[in-house]
Amino acid sequence: MNAVLGAWYDFRDLNNLSREISEWVADWGPDWLASIVTGLLGALAILAVIGPTLLILIWVERKVIARFQQRYGPNRVGPRGLLQPVADAVKLILKEELAPRAADKLIFFLPPVLVFLPAIVVWGVLPFGPRMSVADLNVGVLFLLAVSGTAVLAIFMAGWASNNKYALFGAMRAVAVSISYEVPMVLSLLTLVFFTGTMSINGIVEWQQQEDVILVVLFPLAAITFFFAATAELNRTPADISEAESEIVAGYHTEYSGMRFGLFYAVELANALAVSAFVATFFLGGWWLWGLDEWVPSWMILLAKTGLVYFVLIWFRGTFPRLRIDQLMALCWKALVPAGLMFIAVAAVERTLLIEEGWDTTVALPVMAAINIALSGAVVALFARVARSPRLRRPARTILVRDQVGGLRAAREVASQAAPSGD
Amino acid sequence: MSDFGFHLAFWSLASVTVGGALMIIVSRNLIHAVIFLILSLLGVAGLYLTLSADFIAVVQILIYVGAISVLMLFAIMLTPRVERDNSETRLRYPAAIIMGMVLTATVFVALDTDWGEVRGAALGEQARLIGESLIREYVLPFEIGAVLLTAALVGAIALAREDPEDAVVHAASLRQEAAGPASDEPEQVSDPAPSVGDGSGETEAAPSGPASAGSPAGGSGAR
Repeated sequence: MNAVLGAWYDFRDLNNLSREISEWVADWGPDWLASIVTGLLGALAILAVIGPTLLILIWVERKVIARFQQRYGPNRVGPRGLLQPVADAVKLILKEELAPRAADKLIFFLPPVLVFLPAIVVWGVLPFGPRMSVADLNVGVLFLLAVSGTAVLAIFMAGWASNNKYALFGAMRAVAVSISYEVPMVLSLLTLVFFTGTMSINGIVEWQQQEDVILVVLFPLAAITFFFAATAELNRTPADISEAESEIVAGYHTEYSGMRFGLFYAVELANALAVSAFVATFFLGGWWLWGLDEWVPSWMILLAKTGLVYFVLIWFRGTFPRLRIDQLMALCWKALVPAGLMFIAVAAVERTLLIEEGWDTTVALPVMAAINIALSGAVVALFARVARSPRLRRPARTILVRDQVGGLRAAREVASQAAPSGD
Repeated sequence: MSDFGFHLAFWSLASVTVGGALMIIVSRNLIHAVIFLILSLLGVAGLYLTLSADFIAVVQILIYVGAISVLMLFAIMLTPRVERDNSETRLRYPAAIIMGMVLTATVFVALDTDWGEVRGAALGEQARLIGESLIREYVLPFEIGAVLLTAALVGAIALAREDPEDAVVHAASLRQEAAGPASDEPEQVSDPAPSVGDGSGETEAAPSGPASAGSPAGGSGAR
């Protein structure tokens, strides 16, 4: 098997092909050209994977959502509606691109392009195989967080430059949600970094391979936290308050038409795919699957896992109703952040037991997994009990934020209402 | 890496950084200025990368580009009239003189310093090195920083939060104010509240008194 491994046509490890090409360039060109060529090859590979995948994903997403809602979904254009995304793209390209007269022209035109950058760049650190990532950084986890955190700037620019109050509302909500949910996201990844002792993404996958365990078993709550925080940062449906159609038209991209809107839409899907891939990498073992990666190309395993997580993401979207902003914030700051801090402490203790005390991993890891699962269940049950909103005996109307929170505005309202004015 | 690639990277990043910084000063619109500031900070992150300080570069993006500039944008956006009223002021010339002096001093220091160049391999895992020195040598400053940040957080919450008791007191005073001109007996105006409140579906009233359970229709109608 090793004879084939390393030849350029071995498609199990696409790194071989790129190495052959860069070596060939290095033979006649200067070596800086070789590194540029390798980088370009990586970028091209990413774009070549993402572009067509997006077109299919639009179809998949619409079809699956339709099934969840007991309807057929797109089924007119092409066989089983497969060409519907192409038709949509052509329509979007042909549409006129308008800009509001009062918009800030420079900043208005930038965001649809800028928002694409982080969506593409995060794929660079994703390991598709043991040696198959464009850049295997020592600080891969931090890089992922840093790059994905900059997407909110583009959203903010879009909302501000549109000179539209709904766009601005959407941008404000997006920024608030993104800043808040960055914290539990970092905490959940910090748990993994603590436990595995590496910040390299490939290192985390290799740790799972070495210990023969997937991390979702060890840290289920961290996995759920990361998944939900990512959903919130993506503006997907349980947490899509920044483009809530029933409240603020379309949020930050209200004023974008034609292909500019199409770019925002595409980026959303690309990000969802990236999040699925990273959930699969961090918590489900990435390119590794109990020895199957010796027989099947590792990137196929990763793509299969990504598809699985993506399905759950669509399931999420099809099942849960939209959260209000106060509910979303309360979930973040009152539930996910304390739980995340607790599990960092748990991970630190367990890491110490494994490394400093030298406990046998074959015995200790299952025990720790059992303890952690029990703890996660207990934490969820506790929060469900404590943070539950009061049960309605006669739900005549929704409880408004004001009634629960009180505060100055409520007091003013009370006063004005108690005053016998115009009865 | 050969010298040419390195120089290419350095000069392009340096021009992005300095150009962005220039545009911050030139642009009148504050939002534009912050966006150029972000560009400049990204250039600095790239410069860190050419120095093989990947951890610092990533942290630069994470903190300065991802967090601080967003905070700045927020603050600017919540300030009214950022685009207008940004015209010239009389303080322009003193500011120019002071900044010119600072620039001259910086250039002199930069030219005067012996920039010892470290050849050879970069430090290994910087995150590990930085972390170890933070909890070994510099543990006291680290802890002080942590306490300071916690104090800042608590202070911000204390400033932003409304004391429910204050709200009750304030409600009472507002009630008296509102009731004052209309009727002579401020005690009785709280009576109609329970009759309004029983139309709602809650189990319990808010702590600020029976009147707080009033229906929104009543509240908005009175306004």
